[in-house]
Amino acid sequence: MTDSSGNYRIEDLLAGDYELSVSASGYRTGTQRVTIAAGEARNANVTLTESLALGDLGFTTEQTQGNAADQARLDRRSHMLKWHQRFGLLTAASFVATLVSSTNAGGRRATASGRDWHAGLGILNTGLYFTTAYFAIFAPKIPGAETHGQIRIHKALAWVHGTGMIVTPILGAMAFNQRSNGQRVTGAASYHGAAAAVTTIAFGLAIISVSVKF
Amino acid sequence: MRPARLARLAVPLVVAAAPLAGQTGASATWILARSKVTYHVSHPLHQTDGVSYEARGKGVCQSGQCTLLIAAPVKSFNSGDSNRDLHMLQVVRGAQYPMVVVRTTLPEDAAGHDTIYADVEIEFAGQTAHYKQVLFQLTMQGNDATVVGTIPVTLTDFKIDPPSLLMIAVKNEVPVRVEMLWRKE
Repeated sequence: MTDSSGNYRIEDLLAGDYELSVSASGYRTGTQRVTIAAGEARNANVTLTESLALGDLGFTTEQTQGNAADQARLDRRSHMLKWHQRFGLLTAASFVATLVSSTNAGGRRATASGRDWHAGLGILNTGLYFTTAYFAIFAPKIPGAETHGQIRIHKALAWVHGTGMIVTPILGAMAFNQRSNGQRVTGAASYHGAAAAVTTIAFGLAIISVSVKF
Repeated sequence: MRPARLARLAVPLVVAAAPLAGQTGASATWILARSKVTYHVSHPLHQTDGVSYEARGKGVCQSGQCTLLIAAPVKSFNSGDSNRDLHMLQVVRGAQYPMVVVRTTLPEDAAGHDTIYADVEIEFAGQTAHYKQVLFQLTMQGNDATVVGTIPVTLTDFKIDPPSLLMIAVKNEVPVRVEMLWRKE
């Protein structure tokens, strides 16, 4: 320890290289290398510079202190949205497969097995879609976070494909029953294809809206 | 001989702070009047810049050396999309470590040069990284000093896992450009 004037004395050091470190509250620790030969007395002066703290910049403790609970909420949100993204890509693939299978489910080339395949893929697609939606809907909300940017488009499109994913399977089931009974697809069921197309396009645009910057 | 092999002598200074301050009184104080800090993230699908205008800074010059402290709230960076900013806040552990803090020491006569090389220490995401000899352009105008430079930050410097979009991770390099206007008090 130094005396009240900052003087110090260290005795009985062996010859060699030393790193002298001087510390004081409110100052940055100063260091200096000192080489001492056998029997030699050396003077080593270290100048300390004032240490600045976040309080000197006007930040409050509330601003500078971390919050583990907030971090946990962010972690959970990101974790769930990662699954939202993964299931979203799977759902996109199943949208395409379901659309492709529709060529054998209706029209002149329609077959019973084609309809069954299309219905099966439609059910799978619906399951994947609502699993995807679950991870987004139930991801924790972050207090004070305002929504802005392209994510607003993504969320707006969710209302379109969300509605579509309720309507399309219902219309699909109606069309399936009509065809299975040997009837022509008529009435509301005839809009199944159009509803599916709008839903698929809205879903694709929703993916693009968070993938490509424009 | 490497520093690690040096014997270390620690000398706690016990003098009162006030007399010491009198002995080493500040010869100049600088305040960060205005700033723009921008990080740049590269992803195959798009490039993103996150900008903060909320950095605060102070510099104290003593005995020919100026110690500068600059800090900004991590959540003050805006990339133009709230979802991306929240993801950024999560991956950099911004709720747990809410400030990015930069410290550097410069010789007081650096103000007389057009370019300065500074050793920069950055505290971020619960880690501290050091960048040696970072180049900054300096323009003096009266009591104002405009400092512009880019710090070659990487995610691994702060043990941050690169976030990914559509299963593709962003680049490790996240250069941070700083534009600062310092004012001598």
